[in-house]
Amino acid sequence: MTLDWSIVWEYREDLLHGVLLTIALTVITMIVAIPGGIILAMMRLSRSRILSTISLCFVELFRNLPLILVVYWAFYVMPIVLGIQIAAFETGLIALCLNVSAYNGETFRAGINSIREGQVNAGLALGMSRWQVMREIVIPQATRRVLPVLASTWVSLFKDTSLVSVIAVGELAHVALQIRSQTFRVMEMLTAMAVIYWLLGYPQAKLVDWIHSKFKVAE
Amino acid sequence: MTMIAPKESGSTPSPVLIYEKVRKLYGEFVALDEVSLRVDAGEVVCLIGPSGSGKSTLLRCTNALEPISGGTIYFDGRALPSVDRDIRKVRQRMGMVFQNFELFPHKSALDNVAIGPMTVLGMPKTQARERARALLAKVNLADKVDSFPSNLSGGQQQRVAIARALAMEPEVMLFDEPTSALDPETIGEVLNVMKALAEEGMTMIVVTHEMAFARRVADRVAVFEHGTILEHGSPEQIFENPETARTRDFLSHLGWDG
Amino acid sequence: MEFDFSPVVDSWRYLLDGVGISLMLSVWTMLGSLALGAAVGLGRVYGSAWLRVPLVFYIDTMRSIPVLVVLVWIYFAMPLLTGLNLSPFWSAAVALSLHIAAYVAEIIRAGIQSVREGQTRAGLALGMSTAQVVRVIVLPQALVRMLPAFGSIVSVTIKDTAIASVIAVPELLRRSETLAGQSFRPIEVFTAAMLIYFLLLVPATRLIDLLYRRVAHLGRS
Repeated sequence: MTLDWSIVWEYREDLLHGVLLTIALTVITMIVAIPGGIILAMMRLSRSRILSTISLCFVELFRNLPLILVVYWAFYVMPIVLGIQIAAFETGLIALCLNVSAYNGETFRAGINSIREGQVNAGLALGMSRWQVMREIVIPQATRRVLPVLASTWVSLFKDTSLVSVIAVGELAHVALQIRSQTFRVMEMLTAMAVIYWLLGYPQAKLVDWIHSKFKVAE
Repeated sequence: MTMIAPKESGSTPSPVLIYEKVRKLYGEFVALDEVSLRVDAGEVVCLIGPSGSGKSTLLRCTNALEPISGGTIYFDGRALPSVDRDIRKVRQRMGMVFQNFELFPHKSALDNVAIGPMTVLGMPKTQARERARALLAKVNLADKVDSFPSNLSGGQQQRVAIARALAMEPEVMLFDEPTSALDPETIGEVLNVMKALAEEGMTMIVVTHEMAFARRVADRVAVFEHGTILEHGSPEQIFENPETARTRDFLSHLGWDG
Repeated sequence: MEFDFSPVVDSWRYLLDGVGISLMLSVWTMLGSLALGAAVGLGRVYGSAWLRVPLVFYIDTMRSIPVLVVLVWIYFAMPLLTGLNLSPFWSAAVALSLHIAAYVAEIIRAGIQSVREGQTRAGLALGMSTAQVVRVIVLPQALVRMLPAFGSIVSVTIKDTAIASVIAVPELLRRSETLAGQSFRPIEVFTAAMLIYFLLLVPATRLIDLLYRRVAHLGRS
């Protein structure tokens, strides 16, 4: 088998564009999904049964569905239901946001719940208000538990952006697969795609390890 | 009349363990500084002293759970080996009881006691369980054979741990603060088992903060500080008439007034 | 808007076979990733230093690249390299196993390392060899502690099998796409597919949670 790696250089601009879209999808999704997750957690922990149930259903639904199915569903169903044409990029973004918000919602909820009741009581016993207890005691402690999980979710999200390639969002995976089918340089293009993902993902994975070790919770 | 010698007189006591200028370093920190001590067969030696003074370290070194940095520990006349296989042989002849019990949570009380003979000595299961049953009865836990550690109180867990160590029929028992993690009301049941063991003539080294136990049960008491033995002697000597001011201080901090 | 679920109802057999293939793929992937993950995880904890380097590299690589990338590489590129042609189903099983095994390895490592040092000491003090300590004391406890994490691995595996639709494995999602295209009823078909996946995943994870609650005390030293 003769390999022609120059193909990778030849298509560098397309690949770079794909990389940028991958990064954009990751960053924008997280920017939306962190407040999304906080709202879901607040709803879940609120005293309103209705809000709590809505949040529970949302979180459980999207955590128990393959993301790729959510992508298809958003692609086919949203335009019909909403009656407007949505670009592939936005469609993919919406699917990712639904998915990651659900995960973040669970992360924030677990983080807040992990603080022992004794801590809350200790704060209340000092005469703090519920809000002060939340701000001074619960949130700072919960942050230490939440951050490492968010970091892991970030890396998963970065990898999951590849799934929106199935609806022709021009991110890295889609671009690479397109070039592959146009040029028939299968080996080169697929290997290059793997290497580019590796170069982007490996430092992130290592950073996650670092965050995990830094925030290791001492009970 | 001269034929029947009174028990123990005439025969020189045989040493089970001899510590000769034992040193142990953790990096820069000197945990044991030339500790020398001798433990004879049938003796109960209590090691007392403030936390971090090296008592527990000495026990772990005795069992080769930690390698020593200098000096020699003789067990039954031979220096502790350094080859893994020989170390295991030595460990099989010593029983160890830990501060946190360290029962195996996935095994019933019975199997916790039987597991040593089964895996290490290759004893058949029925025979090992028979021995375990007898030992659990001996520590007054005949009714708890099928309980799992999570369903036992601290005192009960520690008694299972003692039975587990005894199952290997050790020549010496090492107790590493066996009652420090216990609720006050269960300390007594563990100390009673240990006392009974001492009365049977078991050789024991006990790291403890229970001064009343040391006073009543020990043949000899060694006081540790900063990795050295400040003084050692009979309990009467140590508790009634300590030689050093440091020992007096330590005892008075514990509320011991003679 | 009117809904017409008749395409789903009419083709229930077709979709059900897809569910069967999804589940078969899940089972093979679980087996593959457990075997490989156990070997890698144990090698990483107990192996020599030179063995650990490639194992860590493998784990971190799989954590860095999307499963889709592994999948298309195994299916399209590997045959060119090795001359070995695997069917879409087996390509997917291999790719998913390779990817998920890295996570299994990490779970096993964390499980082993979470067992207290004192447990090892207690075993050694009885005269056990290191191998006996690992087999009789550490691993049984570690396995119990790993159960919740294995629960999420089951869930991840079933979800990841949907990605095999990309290389035309005729599993549930692929068949849903086909049916949606033929019937022009994508809303109904994909909604039905969602419901099926949800009904597969929730009991699977709940079952493992339940099992864990019953055995958790066995791992609490």
